[in-house]
Amino acid sequence: MLVIVVGLPVAALGYHLHLFPDRSGVRTIDIVAAAPERGGFQPDVIRVAAGEKVRLRFSVPDVTHGIALGPGLGIDLGQIDPGQVEEIELVFAEPGRYAYYCNTWCSPNHWRMRGVIEVYDPANPSRLVSDSRPDPVTGALAEQGIDIDAPHPASVIPAAAKPSATRGEAFSTRAETPLPPEFDDASWRRGHSPAEAHTLLNRELPALSEEEAWDIIAFHWLRDLTPERREWATEQYAKNCAACHGEAGTGTGPGVDALRQQGLGRHGEEDETTAINDPQTILGGTSNIYYAKIRRGGMGTGMPDFGPVFTEDETWILVDYLWTFQFAE
Amino acid sequence: MRKRLLTLLPPALVALGVLFVPLDMFAATPVTRQFTVQASQFAFDPPTLRVNRGDRVVITLEATDVVHGLYLDEYDVNVRVEPGLSKQIEFVAEKTGKFRYRCSVSCGSLHPFMIGELVVMPNDAFARAVGLTLVAALAALVYLSRFPPGEA
Repeated sequence: MLVIVVGLPVAALGYHLHLFPDRSGVRTIDIVAAAPERGGFQPDVIRVAAGEKVRLRFSVPDVTHGIALGPGLGIDLGQIDPGQVEEIELVFAEPGRYAYYCNTWCSPNHWRMRGVIEVYDPANPSRLVSDSRPDPVTGALAEQGIDIDAPHPASVIPAAAKPSATRGEAFSTRAETPLPPEFDDASWRRGHSPAEAHTLLNRELPALSEEEAWDIIAFHWLRDLTPERREWATEQYAKNCAACHGEAGTGTGPGVDALRQQGLGRHGEEDETTAINDPQTILGGTSNIYYAKIRRGGMGTGMPDFGPVFTEDETWILVDYLWTFQFAE
Repeated sequence: MRKRLLTLLPPALVALGVLFVPLDMFAATPVTRQFTVQASQFAFDPPTLRVNRGDRVVITLEATDVVHGLYLDEYDVNVRVEPGLSKQIEFVAEKTGKFRYRCSVSCGSLHPFMIGELVVMPNDAFARAVGLTLVAALAALVYLSRFPPGEA
């Protein structure tokens, strides 16, 4: 009798604590991650106090999703298959807005699969968490009257194979041919297209051959892409971009078909703007334009806005990586 | 009558031998066979791959809608593929028979029915056919010389 009266509750309580060790005060938020047509993230908005420790627990009911958090958090839970659960404990130090998003193509509406984490100030919880500040680059482009959605075809493209940055570096460091000073100015490079740089080289150094000029441009357009940044960009490209733009940048990923069926953008017309390995399409644009496109998305093209997902510096890494489809090492 | 049947017995035995004795020296030279298999909800395209024993099989696996997998019975192949990132599978088809391949990542309601088939044929069918024809021709000659038509 005593065993039953005392032992049973103790055993039950012990088992209960064993099952739910998180009665320790960490708030657990359960998030169902389904494709958007089946409800997307549920919930898709989470409010967390700055400094509060929370546990996010993702479960997947339909098809495989990839769950990542950004911008700048560097958190990627990887792919979660149906029936599996992944969780993460984290603390947001500062108030702000963060996103959780799917980075594995999961549906024609994959790009809508986003959630928002609002980190509020515990001292002032009713104050609205500000939306992201206006982007200086996108704003400057608008002021200059540059339409980032319009095609920017190149006036001149390399005649033969991919220009080589390694050969270009050798030319650039040779003393007898000092390059125009603009080439060492990072903000000039971001504001000018490779085609414009080619025109400048032709004017200033007419002795250069066509191939040498393109090699020099290749070197300068790839010089910010350190091996670590390239590695990061390669991984992010595979997860976020390849489904539409294709592994090799040919613009023939399965996502393009899905977007075409939704009648989105220029995907059905002649100018396949998804083909980012096409010199004619890409070499006439500037890094600033591609930065703005990645952050804001392409209006009506199905290109999602990656601004809520990547920091500004992360976006620049992706822009630098974009040039590897045009220029070889 | 019995004599006639006895005459046909040796060629029949030889014919059986030609058909079923495993002889690798008549095998056709193995080749590399390339396939592109597209996985989508809820089928593989193409659903059937045909190769000969000894062939090197190279499969480029693509997913067109969600993450899929390809698990091939008996061949220790299990590959996961995401939309946009194709995967290469390479192996030598050493076992003859029909082998199912199926999706190994739960991909939706009809996932269990997402099945394809690898058919590995013995690769000496032609040599055996030639042998069988020769045996049949010889048997006919012997038979006809021993029992010319019209004498029965």
